[in-house]
Amino acid sequence: MSALSNLLIPAVLFFALGFFARAIKSDLRVPPDLAKVLSIYLLMAIGLHGGYALGKAELTTAFNSVLWAVILGFTLPLIGYGLLLMTRKVDHMNAAAIAAHYGSVSAGTFLTAIAYLDNLGISYESYPVIMLAVMESPAIIVGLLLASWSRQRLGITGNQGGAAVLQQGGTGNGQLGGLLHEAFTNGSVILLIGSMVIGAISAPASMEKLFPFIDEIFMGVLCLFLFEMGMEAARRIREFRKVGTVLVVFGLVMPLIGGGIGLVVGAMVLNMSVGGTLLVGVLGASASYIAVPPAMRLAVPEANPSFYLTLSLGITFPFNVIIGIPVYHALAERLVA
Amino acid sequence: MHRLFPEKLVTVITSDVLEEHLVGRVRHRGASGYTIVRARGAGSSGEQSGMLDIDTNIKFHVIMPPERLSGLLDDLEQLINKGHHLTVFVSDVSVLSPEKYSESME
Repeated sequence: MSALSNLLIPAVLFFALGFFARAIKSDLRVPPDLAKVLSIYLLMAIGLHGGYALGKAELTTAFNSVLWAVILGFTLPLIGYGLLLMTRKVDHMNAAAIAAHYGSVSAGTFLTAIAYLDNLGISYESYPVIMLAVMESPAIIVGLLLASWSRQRLGITGNQGGAAVLQQGGTGNGQLGGLLHEAFTNGSVILLIGSMVIGAISAPASMEKLFPFIDEIFMGVLCLFLFEMGMEAARRIREFRKVGTVLVVFGLVMPLIGGGIGLVVGAMVLNMSVGGTLLVGVLGASASYIAVPPAMRLAVPEANPSFYLTLSLGITFPFNVIIGIPVYHALAERLVA
Repeated sequence: MHRLFPEKLVTVITSDVLEEHLVGRVRHRGASGYTIVRARGAGSSGEQSGMLDIDTNIKFHVIMPPERLSGLLDDLEQLINKGHHLTVFVSDVSVLSPEKYSESME
């Protein structure tokens, strides 16, 4: 099938290689911090690219994109939370933490989709890049608020009783403020938006000097990054048994729901081309595994990191890369026609 | 023969995401300083390989005079009650220049 041959690009193949290497228990290891370094580069490069392209963009469409990114960012986690609670197999805290992941985005999946589109010669608007930057934070905030609300409603059972409850209530607001600060000043967001601003306001001649760094080696760095992520995904997927069938099914179904909503927003509301629509669909379908997990670990310690990490990195990420992107592409073509 | 004085060494092994919070608590409790070492391992939170932000650990050391210890231990217990995973242990150490540890950082 041609859809499968469209996936035969180095980015996806290196992801598969990393996955395979870990699956056969090879002793292949990358140094610690590699993913962190490569993330910084990728965010900077995509931000600069997006900002540079935005110089030629229309302000109204840009504004609408941001608006809808925020709407998606707030709505998708609520949908996820509702679905998880409906199964009656997931408690409130885990539901809140997991939902936050699905409302946020995966830059890795987004960039894989860009590699996919480049390979097919399909052009795409630059607005999805702004949406990428904007969609990180709202989901974290929603996750925090859902968790905080659940904590108060349930009276924090399992703790030391009265004293702990009073203490929690008293320091509750201060803590929330700190965590909201974290959501807005999150490193990835600052880097991405900052790079976009720099890309937009810098003189074109000086931006061109950067192209060897942000353009020519970009795909290679993405391959390295996805290679490591393939290994991490394989490490996480081994825990799917511990996570349970209900959550595994959620990890496969939620991206389709989020993706579907994203595709509709991209095609019908923002009137983007097939490429742009696919990217918005990917934003809706993807789940964060770099920025949101540490935020949830800090803010919702009652939730089990094994659950949200296995889901977002072990199940949803590979699903989106191998099955999701071609499916969203086919749907995007139907919607835009 | 050197004169050595008894102090308490508090060691906390936990996720990197708690670093700022721990530093805040330790400053608040009047510690004279702290040391952070990067760590990896496995335990109640699963394997912490140090590859991603989520599974990087720190080993946090503070030397304090015994009188100031219990405040810090209360703070650490509060973190554990909230659901965070911390490995906390206190050891007896003998130090040169004990006056160093009575001066608070703030």
